[in-house]
Amino acid sequence: MASHGVSRSSGTAVRTEEARQKELQQIAAYKDLTNVVNKKIAEKEYTLDVLGLVTKLLNENPEYYTIWNHRRRILSALFAGSTAENDSNGSAEQLIQDDILLTFALLRKFPKCYWIWNHRDWLLNKAESELGADTGRQLWAGELQIVSKMLHVDSRNFHAWSYRRFVVQQLKRLASTTHAQTMSTKTLTESEFDYTTKMIKTNLSNFSAWHNRSKLIPLLLDERNADSTARRTLLASELDLICEAINTDPFDQSIWFYHQYLMSTLSPNCPPSDQIVQDLSNSERQKYYEHEMEYIREILDDEADCKWIYEALLFLARAYLEVEAGTKLFTTKDMRAWLDELNRLDPLRRGRWRDLADRLNI
Amino acid sequence: MSLVSGPGRAMSSMPSELKLCVEKHVSYIQSLDTRKDELEYWLTEHLRLNGLYWGLTALHLLGHPEALPRAGILEFLFSCLHENGGFGAAPGHDPHMLYTVSAVQILATLDAFDDLDSYAIDGRQKVAQCRSYIASLQDPESGTFAGDEWGEKDTRFLYGALNALSLMGFMHLVDVDKAVQHVHSCVNFDGAYGTSPGAESHSGQVFTCLGALTIAGRLDLVDREKLGAWLSERQLKSGGLNGRPEKTEDVCYSWWVMSSLAMIEKLHWIDGEKLASFILQCQDSEHGGLADSPGNMVDVFHTVFGLAGLSLLKYPGLVEVDPVYCMPREVTRRCLGK
Repeated sequence: MASHGVSRSSGTAVRTEEARQKELQQIAAYKDLTNVVNKKIAEKEYTLDVLGLVTKLLNENPEYYTIWNHRRRILSALFAGSTAENDSNGSAEQLIQDDILLTFALLRKFPKCYWIWNHRDWLLNKAESELGADTGRQLWAGELQIVSKMLHVDSRNFHAWSYRRFVVQQLKRLASTTHAQTMSTKTLTESEFDYTTKMIKTNLSNFSAWHNRSKLIPLLLDERNADSTARRTLLASELDLICEAINTDPFDQSIWFYHQYLMSTLSPNCPPSDQIVQDLSNSERQKYYEHEMEYIREILDDEADCKWIYEALLFLARAYLEVEAGTKLFTTKDMRAWLDELNRLDPLRRGRWRDLADRLNI
Repeated sequence: MSLVSGPGRAMSSMPSELKLCVEKHVSYIQSLDTRKDELEYWLTEHLRLNGLYWGLTALHLLGHPEALPRAGILEFLFSCLHENGGFGAAPGHDPHMLYTVSAVQILATLDAFDDLDSYAIDGRQKVAQCRSYIASLQDPESGTFAGDEWGEKDTRFLYGALNALSLMGFMHLVDVDKAVQHVHSCVNFDGAYGTSPGAESHSGQVFTCLGALTIAGRLDLVDREKLGAWLSERQLKSGGLNGRPEKTEDVCYSWWVMSSLAMIEKLHWIDGEKLASFILQCQDSEHGGLADSPGNMVDVFHTVFGLAGLSLLKYPGLVEVDPVYCMPREVTRRCLGK
């Protein structure tokens, strides 16, 4: 009902009578299976056999959310029974392992299906309560590798990135309640930061990775107990990284949004928890803005038709004027010229440039 | 808004294949429930009640509100209602926020809250229970909402709760301030929002978060310039909109992005003419319906969001849509009294 990226020609061909009959048989078989599953669940027949039918149905249609609920109903009942001597219900460990395999196989086929990700989340939480914190932590740690595999296939998968952050949270929670203590927590933020570096180096255009980086930096600085020098060092290395990226592909908007992020942390209005350097003076701010402006103006020599450059220059000019009224670095005439370029290069957003001109009163 | 003069004028000079095929879309939507000999019909049963809301809304926007039988819709709707007041996607499917919201939106569109008793015994009382079902899904600690008893949380559900409760005039059942705080904790440096605190900005989530803030009367928390800039950069050369930086365009984002721009009064920050032309190119002018992009398979989801987008662009002949609710403006005016 919500199809994405399916070509119309693949679906509009008139079905032959044979194909029609075949489809009717498929429908009958599918409806039989759903009827049997729903009937057994209504009768609370929470057994391994019914679990098998549920697996079959989910393989045919993983979007059928009610069936995932049924699966959890059955599993909960089996977990509750598995402590008894009745081993034919399968051990909790075996059941969980089976579901980990099932959901991974399904995620590979349907990487954007919310219900599969949800089930996995439920499963791992259950594993913790059924099998203990140590096994729980091992399983959560394994999830990081699974997510990496998913992101290797689609580096922008929204669900995978969300799940990744969630898994990290769980690992941190477990570390703080067990003996693993702070060392491993520190390592985790560091390794996640390294992971974003790796993803960015593979593909500069991966905004999901840049975004995650922006969320990790405050944690990283906190955990490192970074002093004001260390904070300046990190800012400098981030600026180096992004300037190199800008130089490589100035037409990629992911990069410019990250640049905007770094600049936004310099603003006096930035909440202290989001600041990279926390003791900036206004003259220091000016120096950062000046440095960026000069660097970006240099790129202009080769890329005069890149609208992002003019947008960034205007952004920097406004940031500069926020902390210091007068400068020889740029004039109102420069700002007017940058706006003209935006109008020329980016007519889709003409209304925005008009509003900006009004706001800047130029 | 300055867009008013844009697309209206452009349409008249457009080639005929870029005109809206109103009749085709109406019959496409009418045909949806007659396709029971296709496996796809059965594989998408978990979307049935949403589909009804999408189809009904599309028909209202097209100016053909009577094209689906009112009694049939209400009968089906009641067959999805559970004891606890929640609605499932179809008979026998578990209750969930996503379908409960669609049910309330359908009832509001059909102006049916007052004559429910004629469709089911104790119909009014049963539907009244869905308010407490929705309210019960709020997490008292974080202020956000779960989708159902299994606990998945997402700003989509928070928006859905405020949408449905406000249509019924029962916002006081939930902690609106806490919900607002939660939405605010999902904002990123780019001014846009994600599914939960820390999540990457996404146009769909911007729509739900802005919708929730608008309903709560807290748009003051939004950095309109930053967010407007991020949203306007969703428009690509084709005129279509994408959902996140460096992704491809898709008709459904015509709605998520444009309704968000409308809520912060920045609709003129993108090129409406080009967008309208992109949406029209996604029509199946032979069989009706709209697809995610030109030449692809149509579905009712992209049909309603494409049409709602055209309505926001003041495409001639379409009924005005409410950017917050994705329902006819006339309906929300009646329900909200404004």
